[in-house]
Amino acid sequence: MSSLQSYFSTDWSAMTGHDWAGLIVTVVIFFGLAYAFWWALRPSKKKELEEQKFKVLDDD
Amino acid sequence: MDTAIAKPKYDDNVVKYLTVMAVVFLVLGTSMGTMAAAQLAWPALNFDIAEITFARLRVMHTNTVIFAFGGMTLMATAFYTVQRTNGVKLFSNGMAWTMSILFTIGLLLGVISLSMGMTQGKEYHELIWPLDIAVAIVWLMFTFNFIMTIASRNKQTHSHVYVSNWFFMGMMIMITYLYVVNGLAIPVSLFTSYSIFSGVQDAMIQWWWGHNAVGFFLTAGFLAIMYYFVPKQAQRPIYSYRLSVIHFWALMFGYVWLGAHHLQYTALPDWTGSLGAAISLAMIIPSWGGALNGMLTLSGAWDRLRTDYILRFLIMALAFYAMATFEGPVMSSKTVNALSHYTDWTIGHVHSGALGWVAMVSIGAIYHMVMKLWNTEMYSMKLINFHFWLATIGTVLYIVAMWVSGIMQGLMWRAYDEYGMLAYSFVESVAAMHPYYVMRTMGGVLFTSGAVLMLFNIVMTIRMAKARQTSGSQNVASATA
Repeated sequence: MSSLQSYFSTDWSAMTGHDWAGLIVTVVIFFGLAYAFWWALRPSKKKELEEQKFKVLDDD
Repeated sequence: MDTAIAKPKYDDNVVKYLTVMAVVFLVLGTSMGTMAAAQLAWPALNFDIAEITFARLRVMHTNTVIFAFGGMTLMATAFYTVQRTNGVKLFSNGMAWTMSILFTIGLLLGVISLSMGMTQGKEYHELIWPLDIAVAIVWLMFTFNFIMTIASRNKQTHSHVYVSNWFFMGMMIMITYLYVVNGLAIPVSLFTSYSIFSGVQDAMIQWWWGHNAVGFFLTAGFLAIMYYFVPKQAQRPIYSYRLSVIHFWALMFGYVWLGAHHLQYTALPDWTGSLGAAISLAMIIPSWGGALNGMLTLSGAWDRLRTDYILRFLIMALAFYAMATFEGPVMSSKTVNALSHYTDWTIGHVHSGALGWVAMVSIGAIYHMVMKLWNTEMYSMKLINFHFWLATIGTVLYIVAMWVSGIMQGLMWRAYDEYGMLAYSFVESVAAMHPYYVMRTMGGVLFTSGAVLMLFNIVMTIRMAKARQTSGSQNVASATA
Protein backbone atom coordinates (compact mmCIF):
# COMPACT_ATOMS: atom_id res chain seq x y z
CA MET A 1 0.00 0.00 0.00
CA SER A 2 1.42 3.40 -0.98
CA SER A 3 1.80 6.04 1.69
CA LEU A 4 -1.04 7.99 0.06
CA GLN A 5 -3.31 4.96 0.16
CA SER A 6 -2.44 4.27 3.78
CA TYR A 7 -3.18 7.91 4.65
CA PHE A 8 -6.71 7.64 3.29
CA SER A 9 -7.41 4.04 4.36
CA THR A 10 -10.11 3.52 6.98
CA ASP A 11 -10.93 0.56 9.19
CA TRP A 12 -14.67 0.65 8.54
CA SER A 13 -15.37 -2.15 11.02
CA ALA A 14 -13.93 -0.02 13.82
CA MET A 15 -16.34 2.87 13.16
CA THR A 16 -18.49 3.66 16.20
CA GLY A 17 -21.96 5.23 16.15
CA HIS A 18 -20.39 8.63 16.84
CA ASP A 19 -17.98 8.17 13.93
CA TRP A 20 -20.84 7.37 11.55
CA ALA A 21 -22.90 10.31 12.83
CA GLY A 22 -19.92 12.64 12.28
CA LEU A 23 -19.22 11.22 8.83
CA ILE A 24 -22.84 11.60 7.70
CA VAL A 25 -23.13 15.14 9.05
CA THR A 26 -19.86 16.11 7.32
CA VAL A 27 -20.93 14.70 3.95
CA VAL A 28 -24.43 16.23 4.20
CA ILE A 29 -22.96 19.64 5.05
CA PHE A 30 -20.49 19.39 2.17
CA PHE A 31 -23.31 18.78 -0.31
CA GLY A 32 -25.52 21.36 1.43
CA LEU A 33 -22.83 24.00 1.00
CA ALA A 34 -22.24 22.99 -2.63
CA TYR A 35 -26.00 23.36 -3.23
CA ALA A 36 -26.02 26.80 -1.55
CA PHE A 37 -23.18 27.96 -3.83
CA TRP A 38 -24.98 26.61 -6.94
CA TRP A 39 -28.31 28.15 -5.85
CA ALA A 40 -26.89 31.61 -5.25
CA LEU A 41 -24.48 31.78 -8.17
CA ARG A 42 -26.56 30.42 -11.07
CA PRO A 43 -27.06 33.14 -13.69
CA SER A 44 -30.86 32.82 -13.67
CA LYS A 45 -30.91 33.90 -10.00
CA LYS A 46 -28.72 36.97 -10.46
CA LYS A 47 -31.43 39.56 -11.18
CA GLU A 48 -33.78 38.31 -8.46
CA LEU A 49 -31.10 38.33 -5.75
CA GLU A 50 -29.20 41.47 -6.73
CA GLU A 51 -32.32 43.67 -6.80
CA GLN A 52 -32.82 42.98 -3.07
CA LYS A 53 -29.80 45.07 -2.20
CA PHE A 54 -31.47 48.33 -3.25
CA LYS A 55 -34.46 47.99 -0.92
CA VAL A 56 -32.43 48.66 2.22
CA LEU A 57 -31.46 52.14 0.97
CA ASP A 58 -34.92 53.70 1.33
CA ASP A 59 -36.43 51.97 4.34
CA ASP A 60 -36.31 54.95 6.74
CA MET B 1 -50.70 61.03 -0.36
CA ASP B 2 -48.35 62.14 2.39
CA THR B 3 -45.53 59.62 2.45
CA ALA B 4 -44.61 60.64 6.01
CA ILE B 5 -47.99 59.34 7.17
CA ALA B 6 -47.81 56.20 5.00
CA LYS B 7 -44.50 55.12 6.53
CA PRO B 8 -44.83 52.90 9.59
CA LYS B 9 -43.72 54.20 12.95
CA TYR B 10 -41.20 52.07 14.75
CA ASP B 11 -40.68 51.10 18.40
CA ASP B 12 -37.55 53.16 18.82
CA ASN B 13 -37.56 54.05 22.53
CA VAL B 14 -36.22 50.63 23.51
CA VAL B 15 -33.58 50.95 20.77
CA LYS B 16 -32.58 54.34 22.19
CA TYR B 17 -32.21 52.83 25.67
CA LEU B 18 -30.09 49.92 24.42
CA THR B 19 -27.93 52.24 22.29
CA VAL B 20 -27.06 54.58 25.16
CA MET B 21 -26.48 51.67 27.56
CA ALA B 22 -24.14 50.03 25.02
CA VAL B 23 -21.93 53.14 25.06
CA VAL B 24 -22.02 53.33 28.87
CA PHE B 25 -20.88 49.69 29.04
CA LEU B 26 -18.21 50.37 26.40
CA VAL B 27 -16.71 53.02 28.69
CA LEU B 28 -16.98 50.75 31.76
CA GLY B 29 -15.63 47.65 29.98
CA THR B 30 -12.65 49.35 28.34
CA SER B 31 -11.82 51.13 31.62
CA MET B 32 -11.71 47.77 33.40
CA GLY B 33 -9.55 46.33 30.59
CA THR B 34 -7.13 49.24 30.74
CA MET B 35 -6.87 48.91 34.51
CA ALA B 36 -6.22 45.16 34.16
CA ALA B 37 -3.52 45.88 31.54
CA ALA B 38 -1.94 48.44 33.87
CA GLN B 39 -1.91 45.89 36.70
CA LEU B 40 0.18 43.55 34.54
CA ALA B 41 2.69 46.34 33.98
CA TRP B 42 2.57 47.65 37.56
CA PRO B 43 1.22 44.90 39.89
CA ALA B 44 1.03 47.38 42.82
CA LEU B 45 -2.10 48.75 41.16
CA ASN B 46 -3.95 45.78 42.67
CA PHE B 47 -3.85 47.84 45.91
CA ASP B 48 -4.31 44.50 47.71
CA ILE B 49 -8.05 44.79 47.17
CA ALA B 50 -9.41 41.33 46.34
CA GLU B 51 -12.33 42.65 44.26
CA ILE B 52 -10.05 44.37 41.75
CA THR B 53 -7.17 41.95 41.53
CA PHE B 54 -6.26 40.98 37.97
CA ALA B 55 -7.85 37.51 38.20
CA ARG B 56 -11.28 39.04 38.91
CA LEU B 57 -10.90 42.29 36.98
CA ARG B 58 -9.98 40.49 33.77
CA VAL B 59 -13.19 38.41 33.89
CA MET B 60 -15.26 41.49 34.75
CA HIS B 61 -13.69 43.20 31.72
CA THR B 62 -14.41 40.35 29.28
CA ASN B 63 -17.99 39.95 30.49
CA THR B 64 -18.64 43.70 30.33
CA VAL B 65 -17.23 44.24 26.85
CA ILE B 66 -18.54 41.03 25.28
CA PHE B 67 -21.96 40.58 26.85
CA ALA B 68 -22.82 44.06 28.09
CA PHE B 69 -21.38 46.28 25.33
CA GLY B 70 -21.54 43.63 22.57
CA GLY B 71 -24.92 42.27 23.66
CA MET B 72 -26.55 45.68 24.04
CA THR B 73 -25.17 46.76 20.64
CA LEU B 74 -26.50 43.59 19.00
CA MET B 75 -29.91 44.02 20.61
CA ALA B 76 -30.12 47.71 19.66
CA THR B 77 -29.07 47.16 16.06
CA ALA B 78 -31.19 44.02 15.67
CA PHE B 79 -34.34 45.79 16.86
CA TYR B 80 -33.48 48.89 14.79
CA THR B 81 -32.84 47.01 11.55
CA VAL B 82 -35.52 44.32 11.77
CA GLN B 83 -38.24 46.95 11.94
CA ARG B 84 -36.89 48.95 9.02
CA THR B 85 -36.03 46.06 6.70
CA ASN B 86 -39.42 44.43 7.26
CA GLY B 87 -41.54 47.58 7.48
CA VAL B 88 -43.17 46.66 10.80
CA LYS B 89 -43.02 47.57 14.47
CA LEU B 90 -41.59 45.09 16.95
CA PHE B 91 -43.75 42.01 17.60
CA SER B 92 -43.84 43.01 21.28
CA ASN B 93 -42.49 46.33 22.54
CA GLY B 94 -43.32 45.26 26.12
CA MET B 95 -41.25 42.10 25.77
CA ALA B 96 -38.36 44.13 24.33
CA TRP B 97 -38.44 46.49 27.32
CA THR B 98 -38.73 43.64 29.84
CA MET B 99 -35.81 41.87 28.20
CA SER B 100 -33.69 45.04 28.13
CA ILE B 101 -34.26 45.86 31.80
CA LEU B 102 -33.68 42.24 32.90
CA PHE B 103 -30.51 42.11 30.82
CA THR B 104 -29.20 45.32 32.41
CA ILE B 105 -29.92 44.06 35.93
CA GLY B 106 -28.44 40.62 35.13
CA LEU B 107 -25.26 42.18 33.73
CA LEU B 108 -24.79 44.43 36.76
CA LEU B 109 -25.34 41.49 39.12
CA GLY B 110 -22.93 39.49 36.98
CA VAL B 111 -20.15 42.06 37.31
CA ILE B 112 -20.75 42.36 41.07
CA SER B 113 -20.74 38.56 41.56
CA LEU B 114 -17.54 38.22 39.51
CA SER B 115 -15.86 40.91 41.61
CA MET B 116 -16.78 38.82 44.67
CA GLY B 117 -15.04 35.83 43.13
CA MET B 118 -18.19 33.90 42.23
CA THR B 119 -17.60 32.05 38.98
CA GLN B 120 -18.31 28.80 37.15
CA GLY B 121 -14.68 28.84 36.02
CA LYS B 122 -15.56 28.33 32.34
CA GLU B 123 -14.02 30.90 30.03
CA TYR B 124 -16.54 33.37 28.53
CA HIS B 125 -19.21 31.50 30.51
CA GLU B 126 -18.29 32.51 34.04
CA LEU B 127 -21.61 33.67 35.46
CA ILE B 128 -22.95 31.56 38.33
CA TRP B 129 -25.86 29.29 37.45
CA PRO B 130 -28.84 31.47 38.52
CA LEU B 131 -27.51 34.38 36.42
CA ASP B 132 -26.60 31.93 33.68
CA ILE B 133 -30.24 30.82 33.43
CA ALA B 134 -31.45 34.44 33.58
CA VAL B 135 -29.19 35.36 30.64
CA ALA B 136 -30.49 32.35 28.67
CA ILE B 137 -34.11 33.45 29.29
CA VAL B 138 -33.34 37.02 28.19
CA TRP B 139 -31.65 35.68 25.06
CA LEU B 140 -34.67 33.52 24.22
CA MET B 141 -36.99 36.54 24.65
CA PHE B 142 -34.75 38.52 22.30
CA THR B 143 -34.71 35.70 19.73
CA PHE B 144 -38.46 35.09 19.92
CA ASN B 145 -39.29 38.80 19.55
CA PHE B 146 -36.91 39.18 16.60
CA ILE B 147 -38.16 36.13 14.69
CA MET B 148 -41.82 36.97 15.35
CA THR B 149 -41.23 40.53 14.09
CA ILE B 150 -40.01 39.08 10.79
CA ALA B 151 -42.93 36.65 10.74
CA SER B 152 -45.43 39.48 11.26
CA ARG B 153 -44.25 41.49 8.21
CA ASN B 154 -46.51 42.12 5.24
CA LYS B 155 -45.48 39.34 2.86
CA GLN B 156 -46.88 41.20 -0.14
CA THR B 157 -44.73 44.32 0.29
CA HIS B 158 -41.78 42.62 2.01
CA SER B 159 -41.60 39.12 0.54
CA HIS B 160 -37.81 38.90 0.82
CA VAL B 161 -36.02 38.89 4.18
CA TYR B 162 -32.89 41.08 3.90
CA VAL B 163 -29.56 39.35 4.50
CA SER B 164 -28.74 41.20 7.75
CA ASN B 165 -31.74 39.47 9.33
CA TRP B 166 -30.35 36.09 8.31
CA PHE B 167 -27.07 36.82 10.04
CA PHE B 168 -28.91 37.94 13.18
CA MET B 169 -31.09 34.81 13.17
CA GLY B 170 -28.09 32.54 12.58
CA MET B 171 -26.40 34.13 15.60
CA MET B 172 -29.48 33.79 17.80
CA ILE B 173 -30.13 30.14 17.02
CA MET B 174 -26.51 29.04 17.28
CA ILE B 175 -25.74 31.01 20.45
CA THR B 176 -28.83 29.55 22.15
CA TYR B 177 -27.66 26.04 21.30
CA LEU B 178 -24.01 26.63 22.24
CA TYR B 179 -24.67 28.59 25.44
CA VAL B 180 -27.19 26.10 26.80
CA VAL B 181 -25.10 22.99 26.06
CA ASN B 182 -21.87 24.46 27.45
CA GLY B 183 -23.74 25.68 30.53
CA LEU B 184 -25.28 22.31 31.43
CA ALA B 185 -24.43 21.90 35.10
CA ILE B 186 -25.66 20.41 38.34
CA PRO B 187 -26.30 23.06 41.04
CA VAL B 188 -25.11 22.08 44.50
CA SER B 189 -25.90 25.37 46.26
CA LEU B 190 -27.35 28.77 45.40
CA PHE B 191 -24.05 30.02 43.98
CA THR B 192 -22.20 26.83 43.07
CA SER B 193 -22.64 24.25 40.33
CA TYR B 194 -20.56 21.63 38.58
CA SER B 195 -20.43 21.09 34.82
CA ILE B 196 -21.94 17.81 33.64
CA PHE B 197 -18.87 17.39 31.43
CA SER B 198 -15.46 16.45 32.74
CA GLY B 199 -11.88 15.99 31.57
CA VAL B 200 -11.15 16.21 27.89
CA GLN B 201 -14.86 16.28 26.99
CA ASP B 202 -15.26 19.37 29.15
CA ALA B 203 -12.32 21.02 27.36
CA MET B 204 -13.78 20.13 23.96
CA ILE B 205 -17.26 21.46 24.81
CA GLN B 206 -15.73 24.55 26.42
CA TRP B 207 -13.82 25.51 23.27
CA TRP B 208 -16.63 24.45 20.96
CA TRP B 209 -18.56 27.18 22.83
CA GLY B 210 -15.55 29.48 23.25
CA HIS B 211 -14.64 29.76 19.60
CA ASN B 212 -18.23 29.81 18.43
CA ALA B 213 -18.98 32.69 20.79
CA VAL B 214 -16.41 34.45 18.61
CA GLY B 215 -17.86 32.98 15.42
CA PHE B 216 -21.55 33.55 15.98
CA PHE B 217 -21.82 36.27 18.65
CA LEU B 218 -18.83 38.44 17.69
CA THR B 219 -18.77 37.67 13.97
CA ALA B 220 -22.19 36.70 12.57
CA GLY B 221 -24.04 39.28 14.67
CA PHE B 222 -21.64 42.08 13.78
CA LEU B 223 -21.67 41.05 10.11
CA ALA B 224 -25.43 41.62 10.26
CA ILE B 225 -24.60 45.14 11.47
CA MET B 226 -22.11 45.53 8.61
CA TYR B 227 -24.59 44.37 5.93
CA TYR B 228 -27.13 46.97 7.04
CA PHE B 229 -25.09 49.96 8.18
CA VAL B 230 -22.31 50.04 5.55
CA PRO B 231 -24.81 50.43 2.65
CA LYS B 232 -26.91 52.88 4.68
CA GLN B 233 -23.99 55.08 5.69
CA ALA B 234 -22.36 54.91 2.24
CA GLN B 235 -25.79 55.41 0.59
CA ARG B 236 -24.84 52.72 -1.89
CA PRO B 237 -26.11 49.13 -2.18
CA ILE B 238 -23.90 46.32 -0.97
CA TYR B 239 -21.40 45.31 -3.69
CA SER B 240 -22.85 41.82 -4.30
CA TYR B 241 -25.99 40.44 -2.73
CA ARG B 242 -25.22 36.94 -4.02
CA LEU B 243 -21.84 37.04 -2.30
CA SER B 244 -23.61 37.94 0.95
CA VAL B 245 -25.81 34.83 0.61
CA ILE B 246 -22.75 32.62 0.10
CA HIS B 247 -20.97 34.39 2.96
CA PHE B 248 -23.89 33.58 5.25
CA TRP B 249 -24.15 29.87 4.44
CA ALA B 250 -20.38 29.30 4.43
CA LEU B 251 -20.16 30.94 7.86
CA MET B 252 -23.06 28.90 9.25
CA PHE B 253 -21.78 25.60 7.86
CA GLY B 254 -18.10 26.18 8.55
CA TYR B 255 -17.63 27.97 11.85
CA VAL B 256 -18.87 25.22 14.18
CA TRP B 257 -15.89 23.00 13.34
CA LEU B 258 -13.14 25.34 14.52
CA GLY B 259 -13.16 25.02 18.32
CA ALA B 260 -10.63 22.22 18.61
CA HIS B 261 -7.85 24.43 17.23
CA HIS B 262 -7.73 25.95 20.75
CA LEU B 263 -6.58 22.57 22.05
CA GLN B 264 -3.61 21.67 19.86
CA TYR B 265 -1.02 19.50 21.62
CA THR B 266 -3.39 18.51 24.44
CA ALA B 267 -5.06 15.24 25.49
CA LEU B 268 -7.64 15.72 22.72
CA PRO B 269 -7.29 13.30 19.77
CA ASP B 270 -4.79 14.74 17.28
CA TRP B 271 -7.24 14.61 14.37
CA THR B 272 -9.69 16.99 16.06
CA GLY B 273 -7.03 19.72 16.21
CA SER B 274 -6.08 19.03 12.57
CA LEU B 275 -9.73 19.26 11.52
CA GLY B 276 -10.11 22.53 13.44
CA ALA B 277 -7.01 23.96 11.74
CA ALA B 278 -8.02 22.77 8.26
CA ILE B 279 -11.51 24.27 8.47
CA SER B 280 -10.05 27.44 10.00
CA LEU B 281 -7.86 27.87 6.92
CA ALA B 282 -10.83 27.15 4.66
CA MET B 283 -12.81 29.88 6.44
CA ILE B 284 -10.43 32.54 5.12
CA ILE B 285 -12.31 32.35 1.81
CA PRO B 286 -15.83 33.31 3.01
CA SER B 287 -14.43 35.74 5.58
CA TRP B 288 -12.44 37.64 2.98
CA GLY B 289 -15.37 37.39 0.58
CA GLY B 290 -17.52 39.15 3.18
CA ALA B 291 -14.88 41.76 4.00
CA LEU B 292 -14.38 42.55 0.30
CA ASN B 293 -18.13 42.68 -0.20
CA GLY B 294 -18.33 45.40 2.45
CA MET B 295 -15.30 47.34 1.27
CA LEU B 296 -16.15 47.18 -2.45
CA THR B 297 -19.49 48.77 -1.60
CA LEU B 298 -17.46 51.98 -1.65
CA SER B 299 -16.18 51.18 -5.14
CA GLY B 300 -16.19 54.44 -7.09
CA ALA B 301 -16.89 56.50 -3.97
CA TRP B 302 -13.75 56.10 -1.91
CA ASP B 303 -13.53 59.89 -1.57
CA ARG B 304 -16.40 59.62 0.93
CA LEU B 305 -13.86 58.40 3.47
CA ARG B 306 -12.28 61.86 3.46
CA THR B 307 -15.40 63.53 4.81
CA ASP B 308 -17.56 60.80 6.38
CA TYR B 309 -15.98 59.92 9.71
CA ILE B 310 -18.66 57.35 10.59
CA LEU B 311 -17.98 55.50 7.36
CA ARG B 312 -14.30 55.48 8.31
CA PHE B 313 -15.13 53.45 11.42
CA LEU B 314 -17.13 50.95 9.37
CA ILE B 315 -14.50 50.48 6.66
CA MET B 316 -11.61 50.35 9.13
CA ALA B 317 -13.58 47.65 10.97
CA LEU B 318 -13.71 45.61 7.76
CA ALA B 319 -9.95 45.99 7.28
CA PHE B 320 -9.40 44.63 10.82
CA TYR B 321 -11.96 41.86 10.16
CA ALA B 322 -9.98 40.77 7.09
CA MET B 323 -6.72 40.91 9.01
CA ALA B 324 -8.00 39.01 12.06
CA THR B 325 -9.67 36.32 9.93
CA PHE B 326 -6.37 35.71 8.19
CA GLU B 327 -4.27 35.79 11.36
CA GLY B 328 -6.57 33.39 13.25
CA PRO B 329 -6.32 30.49 10.77
CA VAL B 330 -2.54 30.96 10.51
CA MET B 331 -2.29 30.76 14.33
CA SER B 332 -4.47 27.64 14.35
CA SER B 333 -2.05 25.67 12.16
CA LYS B 334 0.02 23.35 14.30
CA THR B 335 3.43 24.76 13.39
CA VAL B 336 2.51 28.35 14.24
CA ASN B 337 0.39 27.25 17.21
CA ALA B 338 3.43 25.56 18.76
CA LEU B 339 4.95 29.05 19.05
CA SER B 340 1.89 31.22 19.60
CA HIS B 341 -0.20 29.20 22.06
CA TYR B 342 -0.27 30.45 25.68
CA THR B 343 1.56 33.64 24.64
CA ASP B 344 0.44 37.28 24.35
CA TRP B 345 0.16 36.85 20.58
CA THR B 346 -3.26 35.28 21.26
CA ILE B 347 -4.27 38.34 23.30
CA GLY B 348 -3.14 40.57 20.42
CA HIS B 349 -5.16 38.51 17.93
CA VAL B 350 -8.28 38.62 20.08
CA HIS B 351 -8.02 42.40 20.42
CA SER B 352 -7.45 43.01 16.71
CA GLY B 353 -10.85 41.33 16.32
CA ALA B 354 -12.47 42.81 19.42
CA LEU B 355 -11.22 46.41 19.18
CA GLY B 356 -10.57 46.62 15.44
CA TRP B 357 -13.60 44.73 14.15
CA VAL B 358 -16.34 44.41 16.80
CA ALA B 359 -15.92 47.74 18.57
CA MET B 360 -15.27 49.81 15.43
CA VAL B 361 -18.23 48.43 13.46
CA SER B 362 -20.41 48.93 16.57
CA ILE B 363 -19.21 52.50 17.04
CA GLY B 364 -19.96 53.32 13.39
CA ALA B 365 -23.45 51.79 13.66
CA ILE B 366 -24.17 53.55 16.97
CA TYR B 367 -23.22 57.00 15.61
CA HIS B 368 -25.45 56.31 12.58
CA MET B 369 -28.37 55.22 14.77
CA VAL B 370 -28.06 58.15 17.19
CA MET B 371 -28.51 60.66 14.36
CA LYS B 372 -31.49 58.74 12.94
CA LEU B 373 -33.18 57.95 16.26
CA TRP B 374 -33.00 61.52 17.60
CA ASN B 375 -33.42 62.97 14.10
CA THR B 376 -30.45 65.30 14.44
CA GLU B 377 -26.84 65.89 13.44
CA MET B 378 -24.14 64.92 15.91
CA TYR B 379 -23.10 67.53 18.49
CA SER B 380 -19.56 67.46 17.05
CA MET B 381 -18.36 65.70 13.90
CA LYS B 382 -14.81 66.79 14.73
CA LEU B 383 -15.00 64.75 17.93
CA ILE B 384 -15.99 61.70 15.86
CA ASN B 385 -12.91 62.22 13.72
CA PHE B 386 -10.77 62.57 16.85
CA HIS B 387 -12.43 59.42 18.27
CA PHE B 388 -11.60 57.55 15.06
CA TRP B 389 -7.89 58.33 15.35
CA LEU B 390 -7.79 57.57 19.09
CA ALA B 391 -9.47 54.20 18.46
CA THR B 392 -7.29 53.32 15.46
CA ILE B 393 -3.97 54.32 17.01
CA GLY B 394 -4.98 52.72 20.34
CA THR B 395 -5.85 49.43 18.63
CA VAL B 396 -2.67 49.36 16.55
CA LEU B 397 -0.51 50.19 19.58
CA TYR B 398 -2.21 47.42 21.56
CA ILE B 399 -1.90 44.68 18.96
CA VAL B 400 1.65 45.53 17.89
CA ALA B 401 2.75 45.41 21.56
CA MET B 402 1.13 42.00 21.97
CA TRP B 403 2.55 40.63 18.70
CA VAL B 404 6.10 41.55 19.70
CA SER B 405 5.58 40.44 23.29
CA GLY B 406 3.92 37.14 22.28
CA ILE B 407 6.48 36.13 19.69
CA MET B 408 9.29 37.03 22.07
CA GLN B 409 7.65 34.97 24.84
CA GLY B 410 7.25 31.96 22.53
CA LEU B 411 10.86 32.17 21.39
CA MET B 412 12.22 32.59 24.94
CA TRP B 413 10.22 29.62 26.24
CA ARG B 414 11.52 27.28 23.55
CA ALA B 415 15.16 28.50 23.44
CA TYR B 416 17.77 26.11 24.86
CA ASP B 417 21.54 26.16 25.18
CA GLU B 418 24.21 23.75 23.91
CA TYR B 419 23.62 21.46 26.91
CA GLY B 420 19.91 21.12 26.13
CA MET B 421 18.91 23.29 29.10
CA LEU B 422 16.29 26.02 28.83
CA ALA B 423 18.08 29.28 28.00
CA TYR B 424 15.67 31.47 29.99
CA SER B 425 13.78 31.03 33.23
CA PHE B 426 10.05 31.88 33.19
CA VAL B 427 10.60 34.97 35.32
CA GLU B 428 13.11 36.30 32.77
CA SER B 429 10.43 36.09 30.10
CA VAL B 430 8.01 37.95 32.40
CA ALA B 431 10.57 40.72 32.97
CA ALA B 432 11.17 40.99 29.22
CA MET B 433 7.44 41.64 28.68
CA HIS B 434 7.35 44.79 30.83
CA PRO B 435 7.91 47.44 28.10
CA TYR B 436 5.23 45.82 25.93
CA TYR B 437 2.76 45.70 28.81
CA VAL B 438 3.32 49.43 29.30
CA MET B 439 2.80 49.97 25.55
CA ARG B 440 -0.38 47.89 25.63
CA THR B 441 -1.70 49.96 28.55
CA MET B 442 -1.09 53.14 26.53
CA GLY B 443 -3.09 51.62 23.66
CA GLY B 444 -5.90 50.86 26.10
CA VAL B 445 -5.82 54.40 27.50
CA LEU B 446 -6.18 55.83 23.99
CA PHE B 447 -9.06 53.50 23.10
CA THR B 448 -10.87 54.17 26.39
CA SER B 449 -10.40 57.94 25.97
CA GLY B 450 -12.12 57.62 22.59
CA ALA B 451 -15.02 55.77 24.22
CA VAL B 452 -15.39 58.54 26.84
CA LEU B 453 -15.43 61.16 24.07
CA MET B 454 -18.09 59.12 22.28
CA LEU B 455 -20.29 59.03 25.38
CA PHE B 456 -19.86 62.80 25.84
CA ASN B 457 -20.66 63.46 22.17
CA ILE B 458 -23.77 61.28 22.28
CA VAL B 459 -25.07 62.76 25.55
CA MET B 460 -24.60 66.30 24.15
CA THR B 461 -26.30 65.27 20.88
CA ILE B 462 -29.33 63.93 22.76
CA ARG B 463 -29.52 67.04 24.97
CA MET B 464 -29.24 69.25 21.88
CA ALA B 465 -31.98 67.28 20.08
CA LYS B 466 -34.29 67.46 23.10
CA ALA B 467 -33.68 71.20 23.56
CA ARG B 468 -34.50 71.78 19.89
CA GLN B 469 -37.63 69.66 20.20
CA THR B 470 -38.76 71.60 23.28
CA SER B 471 -38.14 75.01 21.70
CA GLY B 472 -39.87 73.79 18.50
CA SER B 473 -43.00 72.73 20.38
CA GLN B 474 -42.98 76.03 22.35
CA ASN B 475 -42.85 77.98 19.08
CA VAL B 476 -45.78 75.97 17.70
CA ALA B 477 -47.73 76.55 20.94
CA SER B 478 -47.10 80.33 20.90
CA ALA B 479 -47.97 80.54 17.18
CA THR B 480 -51.29 78.77 17.69
CA ALA B 481 -52.14 80.74 20.89
